[in-house]
Parts: sequence; C-alpha cells; structure tokens
Amino acid sequence: MAPQDATKKRKAITRDSSAADEIVLSDGGGDLEAVFLEGSVSQSEDDGSRLSISHVFAFDEEESDDLDESEESEEQFGTDEVPSDPEQEKVNGTGLNGSAGSISKLAWADEDSEQPPNHIVTEDANGNPRYIYQDIDPIYASDDSEAPETTNTIGNIPLSFYDSYPHIGYDINGKKIARPAKGEALDALLDSIDIPKGWTGLTDPNTGKPLELSEQELNLLKRIQMNEVGEEGYDPYPATIEYFTSKTESMPLSAAPEPKRRFVPSKHEAKRVMKIVKAIREGRILPYKPPQEDDEEDLSVQHYDIWANEAPRPDHAMNVPAPKVPPPGYDESYHPPPEYLPDKKEKTAWEEADDDDRQKEYLPTDHSSLRKVPGYDKFTKEKFERCLDLYLAPRIRRSKLNIDPESLLPKLPSPDELRPFPTTCATIFRGHGGRVRSLAVDPSGIWLASGGDDGTIRVWELLTGRQLWHVKISSEDAINVVRWRPGTDAVILSAAVGEDLYFVIPPIISPELESRSNTLLDEGFGYASSKPRSDSTAKIPAVQWSRPTSTRLADAGVLLKTRLRSTIKVISWHRRGNYLTTVSPSGQTSSVMIHTLSKHLTQQPFRHLKGLPQSAQFHPTKPIFFVATQRTIRTYDLSKQELLKIVQPGARWISSFDVHPLGDNLIVGSYDKRLLWHDLDLSVRPYKTLRYHKKAIRQVKFHTGGLPLFADASDDGSLQIFHGRVVGDLMENATIVPVKVLKGHGVMGSLGVLDVDWHPREPWCVSAGADGTCRLWT
Amino acid sequence: METEQVNPQMRVQLSTSQLDIVLPERNRSILVNTNLRRYGLSSLVNTLLGNEKPIPFDFLINGIFLRSSLDDYLTQHAISSETTLKLEYVKAAIPPIHLASFEHGDWVSSVDVLSTTSPAQRWSNSGGQIPGHERILSASYDGLLRVWNISSQITATSPSAGDGGHLSSIKAAKFVSPSRIASSGTDRTVRLWKYEEASDDSPAVMSQQIELYGHKASVDSIAVHQPSSRLLSASADHTVCLWSTRKSDAPAAPHSSLPVNSSRGAKRRKIGPAISTSQRGYLSSLKSHTAPVSSVIFAPNDPTVAYSTSWDHGLKTWDLPTSTPVDTRSTSHALLSLAAIPYLKLVAAGTSARHITLIDPRASATNVVAMTLRGHTNAVVSLATDPNNTFGLASGSHDGTCRIWDVRSTKTDKEGRVGQSMYSVGRESIGGVSRTSGDGVKVFGVLWDSDIGIVSAGEDKRVQINRGKGAGPITQ
Repeated sequence: MAPQDATKKRKAITRDSSAADEIVLSDGGGDLEAVFLEGSVSQSEDDGSRLSISHVFAFDEEESDDLDESEESEEQFGTDEVPSDPEQEKVNGTGLNGSAGSISKLAWADEDSEQPPNHIVTEDANGNPRYIYQDIDPIYASDDSEAPETTNTIGNIPLSFYDSYPHIGYDINGKKIARPAKGEALDALLDSIDIPKGWTGLTDPNTGKPLELSEQELNLLKRIQMNEVGEEGYDPYPATIEYFTSKTESMPLSAAPEPKRRFVPSKHEAKRVMKIVKAIREGRILPYKPPQEDDEEDLSVQHYDIWANEAPRPDHAMNVPAPKVPPPGYDESYHPPPEYLPDKKEKTAWEEADDDDRQKEYLPTDHSSLRKVPGYDKFTKEKFERCLDLYLAPRIRRSKLNIDPESLLPKLPSPDELRPFPTTCATIFRGHGGRVRSLAVDPSGIWLASGGDDGTIRVWELLTGRQLWHVKISSEDAINVVRWRPGTDAVILSAAVGEDLYFVIPPIISPELESRSNTLLDEGFGYASSKPRSDSTAKIPAVQWSRPTSTRLADAGVLLKTRLRSTIKVISWHRRGNYLTTVSPSGQTSSVMIHTLSKHLTQQPFRHLKGLPQSAQFHPTKPIFFVATQRTIRTYDLSKQELLKIVQPGARWISSFDVHPLGDNLIVGSYDKRLLWHDLDLSVRPYKTLRYHKKAIRQVKFHTGGLPLFADASDDGSLQIFHGRVVGDLMENATIVPVKVLKGHGVMGSLGVLDVDWHPREPWCVSAGADGTCRLWT
Repeated sequence: METEQVNPQMRVQLSTSQLDIVLPERNRSILVNTNLRRYGLSSLVNTLLGNEKPIPFDFLINGIFLRSSLDDYLTQHAISSETTLKLEYVKAAIPPIHLASFEHGDWVSSVDVLSTTSPAQRWSNSGGQIPGHERILSASYDGLLRVWNISSQITATSPSAGDGGHLSSIKAAKFVSPSRIASSGTDRTVRLWKYEEASDDSPAVMSQQIELYGHKASVDSIAVHQPSSRLLSASADHTVCLWSTRKSDAPAAPHSSLPVNSSRGAKRRKIGPAISTSQRGYLSSLKSHTAPVSSVIFAPNDPTVAYSTSWDHGLKTWDLPTSTPVDTRSTSHALLSLAAIPYLKLVAAGTSARHITLIDPRASATNVVAMTLRGHTNAVVSLATDPNNTFGLASGSHDGTCRIWDVRSTKTDKEGRVGQSMYSVGRESIGGVSRTSGDGVKVFGVLWDSDIGIVSAGEDKRVQINRGKGAGPITQ
C-alpha cells in the first residue's frame, strides 16, 4: 500500500510543480504561507527555486515515510489552498475525508503547539470531545511592514553593477535578492484580475442597478467605435450579383423557336452552289487530280544543293533553311549488321556504276572497331567541288520578269465576231485615165461618183461597175474632190476642179427629182440678185456664183459654178445639204470658206488662221465646225462664234480627219503613217494611235450608216478596215479592232489609195486608186 | 475469206423514183463492199440494169448525196454495217459543156428563152414552138433587146433610143408570150413590145406597145404572169410596182414621171422622132422596202402572191390584190436575186455576201434561213431553178461563174451543213478560168431551160449557153 501511495504522491507532486509555479506567481497569499512553511522560499522564477521546493517535498517524503498523517496534511494543504484541482479534491472527498481532517488538525496542532488553542473543547452528544474552532484571524488588516525586511548586503557599491543580473544583491542569508517587479509585471497582475464582462461602473438610472452591457451591446459599441455599420454581419463591399451576365457566351443557349429560315432552303446557298456548278460545267473548276509524279526527271533541269554548307542564320524571308537530313541508318554505321553489308555482286555493281548512277554514295563497309575506319577518301574531291560551286554559282538572286508580252495586250475580240465588214473586192471601176483623186457614194447607195486627173467626173452603178454617165469638166485641171449633197430629196454632186467649185445634177435621175434638184440650185440666183451683199464688197470682192459658160457643160448637167481664189482640196457638206465648206490650203486667209447653197453666198469665217488648213468638217449634229491645220484640229462653236477646243493629235502633218456620226469621236489620218483616234470628251490628246501603214495615210472615213466601222486609205496601196465601237456610256472606252487589210490597188508613182468612202447602209466601202481604178469592197 | 476481211460487206436496198431505170425486184437488195464510192455503186447499178452505155448515177441516203465511201458514211453517221442501207439512185447531173456564145456590143444584163417548156410558151397554148425554133432574148446595157435563134443569129432587135426604144441600159427582159416581150431599164420605164415573126425567112419585127411609167429609179427586175396579165417590177426607188400588161386595164401614166416635164429631158426627146406609144401607169405601187429592191417574182403556185428581195436585207411577201406586205423575213445581208423552189416550198436568195440563202417564206416557219449554199466569191445576182430537178438551182454571180447546185449536195463545215455546188461554169470568153472579183466577166443573168440549157449573160458582152452533154435534142 505504501509504495503505491508513494508513486501516487509523486505523481501528484510532479503535476503540482507547474501548479505550484503558478501559485508562486499568482497568489500572494499562498506564497506567503509557503514562505512561512519553509522559512526561506525565494520568489525566483528559475528552476533552482522550484527544485528547491521539490527537494523540500522530497525531504518531507523521506522524513515521513511511515507517517501518513504528514503526507495527508500536505495533501490537505494542497487541496485547500489550490482548489483549482478538482481531481485531487475528489480523491480527498471520496477516500480519505474523515481521517484526513483530523490528521491535519493534529499536524497543525504539532507545529503551533506554543500558540494558544483557538478552539473550545466541548462534549458532543456521544460524550466525545467536540472541538469548536474559532474563526481564524487572517491578519489581513495588519501591515506588512512588520514582515522582516530583506536587507541588501552588497554594501556601498552602485547598484548599476547589477544591471546585467536578474538580482540586485544578496540578503543576509546569502540569497539573491530579486529585482523588484516592474510595471509590466504589475500590469500583468492587474490584467489577471477578472472584471465582469459588460462592467461599466455606471448605474442604470431606470432600475438603480449597476448598468451592465450585454455582449451584443458591447459589440455594437465596438463597431461604432471602429467606424463600422452597427449591424452585425453587414458587408459594405458585397460581391456583385449581376442581373445580366457580363460574360459573352460564344454559343448561348436560347429558348427561341427555330426560325423559318432554318427549314427553308437558302437561296443564297443555292446561288453559290449554282455558281460552282456553272463553273464546273464551264470547266473553270476542275476536279481534283492527284499531282502526277514526275517519274522521269527532266534532264534539262539542273539541280543545285544550296544547303550544302548551311550555317544557322537568323530567320529571314530570303533564307530558306535546309531540309532536315534523315537520320543515319544502320548501313551507314562503321560496323553495320551483316544483313546490311553488300554481297559481292552488289559491291561490284556499285563499283562499276558511274558516280551519278549509284543509288548510295557510299558502300556499307564493316570495320571491327572505330579506330580501324580509314580516312575519308573523297575529302579533297568534295572540297574541290564545293569551291567550284562557290565561284560558279550566282550569289545574287536576279528577279527576272517572266511575263509573256502577248498577255499584256488587251484581249481584242476576234474579227470573226465583228462581222460584217468588207473583205473582198467585188467590183473594179475602170475608165478613168490617170489617177482617181476622189470618189463618193451617193446618199441612196446606188451610185458612185469619182473624179480624177483626167478632168472627168464619172458616175457609176455601184454594184455592177457600169459607168452611167460622165462629163469632162476640164482638160488641164484635175478633179480634186467630188462629194454628193447629203439627203435623198435631191441629187446634187459637187466637184472641185482647180479653183472652181461645180454643182452637177447627173442626168440619170427621174424627172421629178431632177426638177427638185434644179430648184435647189437655182434658188440662190433670185436671192443673189435681189439682195446684193454690201458687207463683203468692202474688202473682198464677192465670190461670183454663175452658170458655167460652156453650154456643153450645162447640157451635161453642170449647172452651177463658183470660182474661189485658190485650189480647192476638200469639200465637206453640212448634213442638211444647204451649207458646204471648202478648204484650199494655199489660200491663206480665204483658205476655209463656207458656202450657202440656197443663197449662193460664200463666207469667209476666219480672218486669220494659224497654220495651213488641211481639212474642215461640220459636226454631225451640233453647230460645231472642225478645222484641221497641219498639226491641230480646232473646233468652233458656230452659234457663239468662239473657239471651243484645240485637239492635238501629235501628228506632224494631218492629211484628213473624220467625225464619228455620234459626234464625240474623231479619227485623224496623217502623212506620217499614223491613224489617231480621239475621244473629244476625254482629252485633246489621242485615245489611241494606230500605226499599221507603211506609208502616208491619205484619207480616213467613218461608216455613217450605223455600222461601227472606219477605214483608212494609204499610199502603200492598201486600205485598212477597223472596227470602232463607240458606246454611249461615258465610262466605257471605244473598242478599236483592226479587222481587215484590203489590198488590190496598185501603187503608181508612190501614190496608192487616194480616197475612201463608205456605202450609206451596207458594210461596203469604195476606194479610189492612183492606178486609175476605183474598187468596191464587200 | 481474206478478201472479205479486207472489204467488209453490207446490205443495201436500191430504189429509184425514175421509172426508166427501175431495177428488177430481185436485184434491189444486194450485198456490196463498204469501200465503194459513188462511181463503184454507179457501175454496179449499170451492170444490174444491163446498160450497154453506162449512165452516171448519184446515190442519195436520207436525201443527201453520198459524197464519200459507204464505209466513211457509216462511220460518220455511226451506223452499223449490219443494217440495211436504203440507197436511192438518180441520174447524175452531167457537167455542163459550153455550147455557144452570142456576142453583143455591150454588157448583157438579162436573158430569157422561148421554148416548148418556157412559161411564156406554156401560158400561150398557141400550138407549140417547133423544136429547134427556140428563141433567146437578151437585154443589153446598150439599150437594145435582141432575139436570137439557137444558131446564134439575131432574129430581131428592138428600136434604139432615138427610135422610141429604151433611153438607156436595159436591166431586165422577159417573154410575156411568144409574141410579147417586157423589158425594163435604168430609164425608169417598163416597156412592152410586140414581137412578130414572119413565117418566111424575113426578119422578125419588134415594135413597142406600151410604155409603163411610174418608177423613179432604175427598174432592175421584172416578173410576168401572162394568165392574169400582170407584171411586177422591182426598182431602185425602193418600190415594187404592179402593172397590167393589157392596154385597156392600165391606168394613165402619172404626169410627173413623164420625161416631158423635164426641160433637159424634153430637149433630149426632141433629138429623136416622137413615136406615139401608149403611156400607162402602175396599178399599184408596193412601198415597204427601205432600200433598192433587187428582185421580184410571182409565187410559183399563186399569182396573187409575190416575193421581193431588197438591199435592206429583207424578203417580203406581198399580197397583190390588196397591195400589202404580208410578211418580212430579215437576213443579215443585202439580197440581190430571187428564185422559188416550189417542191421544197423555199425561195433561194442570192446575197451580196457571196452565198445563196434558202429562205422559208411561210409565216409559220421558225427558221428564216433553211440552208446556205456557199461557193461563190462575189455577189450572187441571178438565180434560176433547174427545170429537170426539183432540188436543182443555177446561180450567176459577179465572180464570173455560174454554179449548179443541188440542195441535197451538202458538206459539213464549221457553220454546220452548207450547200456545195455541183459544177461551176466559167465564162468561155476568158477560157473558163476564174478571175479576181470577176473583173470584166461578171454574170448578170442566168436562166435554165430544159430544152436549151443554162443560158447566162454577163459583162463579157456574151450570152453563153451551157448544157449537159447528150441530155437534150439541141443541135448546132
């Protein structure tokens, strides 16, 4: 029983050691008692003091090994003074309560035997003595000053010597005097004193009870103090709950009903499919064909290894890195497996083959160890070839323009698509002695009038080439130009012979038409006689209009004649048939004249004209007049009497020009072999220059009957027919395609074709040649 | 066996529509080598017929002449040689041979003939012209009409301008009946002449009966229909005029078109003696064309319908009683000549674009151009139908040749099926060779008569007669 108790006791004490420590620090009362008990219990916190206590206890144990009472008393003491240990209290309460109480009294009695007993001994009901204890006076009211004062024995030395020590000196017993507690320790002590929660020290005026604040109110006050919203759990910065999500879903879910278009076949897609189908049908999209493998290599193509000595370079567009070389195989090993070694046959085949024919550049060879591998035998050769590559191979990439010049030309429609146009000679008109200088198809398209060096005007049946009528106007002068008066209401032929301008009514027409034509020619006689021109008589002698003097001519149908002052080279009628203009290049100021047939009036529109006039023409629809000089073509507004535009074809010497029947385009032929197309709306410079003739161009002419054709006549004996389509749309340019070269006229004295004219409706043209013939081309 | 392998055979069924050359029934279906051509087949048929003098035959398959070997034909049309091919054989056209040329003083513009089979003779019913007394009428640019017998002798000449004849070139002339002639020319008149031939050898007399005034320009073509005594003229003044050939029917001539009104014309008239001939005007003037009318014909089966061609590219069908244009067929070229092919119900029109187009004039026809005949190198200005062959045609062109066509003779080129000429007849005056653009040898008129042959007139101032050899009783 005893050893069991001992172990129990020891356990209890060891547990108490920490509790005792606490007691020392916390309970002044306990401490004091301990000091009383032991006599000298230092109040140090170190281990030494504690050990000393335990030692004291241990001594107690040994001392009272057989004395249970002393142990019990100590336990009692412990339990009384340290009520914080409930387990111990329980043990006391259960097992040893009765006896223990008495024993401790005894112990106390033993120790304080000298003190008067503070109990009265009475007798209880059983006759046993009953001790009635008086209240113990704890002497709290007494001053502690009476407690023996610890005296520092260090003598008269400054206390600062102990600054680095926990103690300040030694007492009389040689024990260290601990440094007195400082403020922190007091604070800690105060802190440990428990103030009830919510204690304010105030009295509630309503109840008179001390005002205590509940936990809630305290928290509220605390939060108000912290500048927070009083309500508990209030979050000033709550996480945003989004009404609508801010995330954009790529494929949002929708409850909307499927739209109709999901079920209706898409027109757009059908259109696109049809487009593709059409393209496939037309052959624009070809079915995929696997690229043909070029089994036979083209020997003409030479290959270069541009990566033979490739060094790593920074990434650049011009730098194509070498393709990766496949990793070496087994047969490239110095010690290949035997199945990769060539047999004798393969070996001889490889050796006999030419360098280029060998499939492999090397022959797999077996070496038993790496050090037996010989040196690379082709080293020198390879270096040499590399050097050759370096100095023979071009180092600069030359960007050569590899464009077929043909492909740059605009796609012209094939002439076959541009039919009809004249292609062959249908009729040859023979009869003129000498050159035919001029010819014209009459407005009805049945007759052809021609005039030439022999001084005769001839009228032919266009289709058959039958000469219907002729008149010899002059024996010395050549007929320079013949032109029909436009319009089918009368048949009047104008012809220029030298300085004379003749008007002829060929007697091949019906009497009715003839009389009408006569009236037209004779109208002016009455006008001229009734109203003499006063304005022109001042400077220029009036140009006289008269009947030809010779009755032979009058009988032949030459009915009217006027004489200018210089040789007339060009006649051009206004479309109404009342005005005509003549150009005589040598006439200086009177070179361009405008004649009014109905008044027999000749006007000189220009006082001064720069350059030598070559040709003149009326605009087909507007009151505009074109005059061509050697270099330029001037357009004049006849109603406003002002210069509109100066067209500059860039030719050195303009021979002739013609205005397109719609009036916006102009073709110009020049003696320097050029044919120039002008778009008057576009520019004063030519839109297109056509240089197909070897010699000078004499005459150019548009088809006036609605066909998009024009022709030029050249001294090289050929005519060229062009297709020239003019679109009313201003955005589109004219299409000009040369369609035919008509050859047939002979070249006489470096003159070829002198004049060209078109049939008024059909794609037929007629040409006058220096060889004395006219030709009809159909 | 080997020969059979080289020359595979096929069965052909021979037939013909000509009675005189019908094969006996048993011989009609025979096996022939497929490498045979026309000549081989022709000699085969001659052998089967037992002809001593072989007749050249032509062979038709589906209405088209066989122009290659049978083998090629089968390949071309993807026909198996196992099928029986139906071959129709007809007497082949014989290349015409030059018989005679009648020389004139000037260009000859038009010709007509009077023979037992000519329309004028058929209409008159006055007995029959004795064979060998055929007459050939030629109109010349010198303003004279000449009537020739086939021995190249002039039987009659029309009066000159001074004696009341045409004032200038004659462009067209036709026999109205064996004793009447119609002519027209660049003097804008149509004239009717009385042609009297004495029974004895004294020269025939041609005297003017009626002058028809009304045209304002050259009259280039006339057509006559004696039974209804109607005459049509086509003029360069864009009109077609309908006239009566009877003096009593015809209205008076319009005053304005008479030459007397013109001062200069009057002057010219005074030169010659005024011969009083009746001057008449047109019954109606058909105005619808917009360019010179080049040719006019009566419909072959209906004299109240006329066709006309013009330079305005159109072929017009006229209803003569009402003088209204019924239908217009537009082509792409100026049309210069016209002939009807009654069997095919087509009209052939010669164009300025060097070919002949076969036009279906019926309003119901969907295709304007039924076929194109190509070969000429210049404008086709005259057309005549073959009197012996319903598919035949003769054309005269400014290229100086007459060509003989069979509508069934075709070839295929890039434009599809085009007609191919069978023979080309050159002008004898230059030795039959061709000349560029027919310079100097243009053919202006052509006529095909079954008795006389192909009569053509041209710029070489000759009337030339060509004829298949031995096919008719013409004697020199």
